[in-house]
Amino acid sequence: MSKLVRFGLPVAVLGTFATLLSLSYESVVKSKASFAILFENYVLAAISVYLLVFLVLLIFRYAILILYSFLDHLETIKRGPVVIEPAKEASLPMVSLVVPAYNEGVVIEAAIRSLLNLDYPNYEILVIDDGSTDDTYEKARGVASESMSGKVRVITKRNGGKAEALNTGMSQARGEFILNMDGDSKMSSNVLRACIRHFDDPRIGAVAGNVKVINRENIWSNIQALEYVEGLAMARKAQSFMRAVNIIPGPLGMFRKSVLQEVGGYDHDTFAEDCDLTLKLLVRGWHIAYEPAAVAWVETPSRLLDLLKQRYRWTRGILQATSKHSAALWQPRKAGINCFILWYMLFEGIMWPFSTVLGNLFFAYVGLQYGLAVLLFYWWLQLTALDVIAAAYCVIIEDEDPKLIYYSIMFRLFYINIIDISKVFATIEEWRGNTMTWGKLDREGKL
Amino acid sequence: MDLIAILTTVILATTIGTVIIGVAAYAAFKLRDKRKPKAKVTTDNKATGDVPEPIFLKRYMPTSKVSSKVSGAVVD
Repeated sequence: MSKLVRFGLPVAVLGTFATLLSLSYESVVKSKASFAILFENYVLAAISVYLLVFLVLLIFRYAILILYSFLDHLETIKRGPVVIEPAKEASLPMVSLVVPAYNEGVVIEAAIRSLLNLDYPNYEILVIDDGSTDDTYEKARGVASESMSGKVRVITKRNGGKAEALNTGMSQARGEFILNMDGDSKMSSNVLRACIRHFDDPRIGAVAGNVKVINRENIWSNIQALEYVEGLAMARKAQSFMRAVNIIPGPLGMFRKSVLQEVGGYDHDTFAEDCDLTLKLLVRGWHIAYEPAAVAWVETPSRLLDLLKQRYRWTRGILQATSKHSAALWQPRKAGINCFILWYMLFEGIMWPFSTVLGNLFFAYVGLQYGLAVLLFYWWLQLTALDVIAAAYCVIIEDEDPKLIYYSIMFRLFYINIIDISKVFATIEEWRGNTMTWGKLDREGKL
Repeated sequence: MDLIAILTTVILATTIGTVIIGVAAYAAFKLRDKRKPKAKVTTDNKATGDVPEPIFLKRYMPTSKVSSKVSGAVVD
């Protein structure tokens, strides 16, 4: 099957192309027309067909995601609110919260204090100071000594990256379950109760939480707020319905400790360690659920260059993780749903940004060259209509601020064009193997 | 000029504008990343290319009394 797809499809496409080319060649020779115009027509026709296929895929993608997300929403309603019977209260398992922190001095105190007020009887907080050069360690120690419960432990180590810090937390954790988060996240108080109930199902290895933007202060952060709401309420919920969430977000993910140990914790070889770990879990057959009631509030970049830096790292990191597990791409029978997940990630990571950039350039060229700018308008209108429908659905499901729907127009008007260009460059650089460094977002302390 | 024509012009101008801004912003981001100060490398390391030994993590090994006295350490 895979050989047929790998070799048969390109041969068929090339064969059709060669036949059309030879027929056109004869007609051009007969009519003594220009080969340059013929070539241009071929290129434009090929791009038109490609964009049409892309548009069909996109409509299909939105329809399936909204349908599955809605089915998951119905499941959540059926499951009822997060209530644990008083008799079960004493038997709730211990959870270790691991907070990796590297130069998070501005936000670490607020982050730990919010964790001390969680509504759960049996948990500990492990702050892993990853060799910070600011006062992160001192501030974390200060909060730890303030809390008389002894719930907070602070461990400092030489700088080794987020993956290493999380692995240190895993080895030091006393709980049966581990909640990994970012040093700058702020949790909703029900987060542990909401996540822990999923582990009643022994096939569930991890639970992904809901991430929301806290610093909605300008157009960039407001559009990102919408992006997060859409990404979680639509894509993540739909994946949860299939028990195959493809990224457990860094700001909030709960794991069985035994499962984390089984897969060897986080690896250091990608820049998206959360995506890599999720794929490792899926490949080993573990199911991953999404819990919308467990919310982590995060600070997002509010300046364009910081945003590009973050997206650049995400794009290359996800490509690295996909490439690492690429064996599943060509083994649909053996890999099952994981094969589909990887193809889906390639569609979102490569095909989507390349296609939107190509579409914009194509329609701009056709508009300027042939005066057919109206085609660009209709192309934009179709994509914007899909965005507005998705945004309205997600805002209703998440009970979010309706104002976010207006940002979906700005999202399509300029935001995604700029982000997609950056993604295309990042993909090219990853393909060329350019070196990269971990781009850390400078926190402003909005938590 | 009808509404569609006006909107078309706006979208065309915005699309071309954002493509230019996108490329420029990416170039600016890469330039900013390149200009960031890098970790200082001492001249000794530059010359030899060796990794410096962490002096504080060196295990203390007691030597003979003679050599200890020379170095000023008290072993007993």
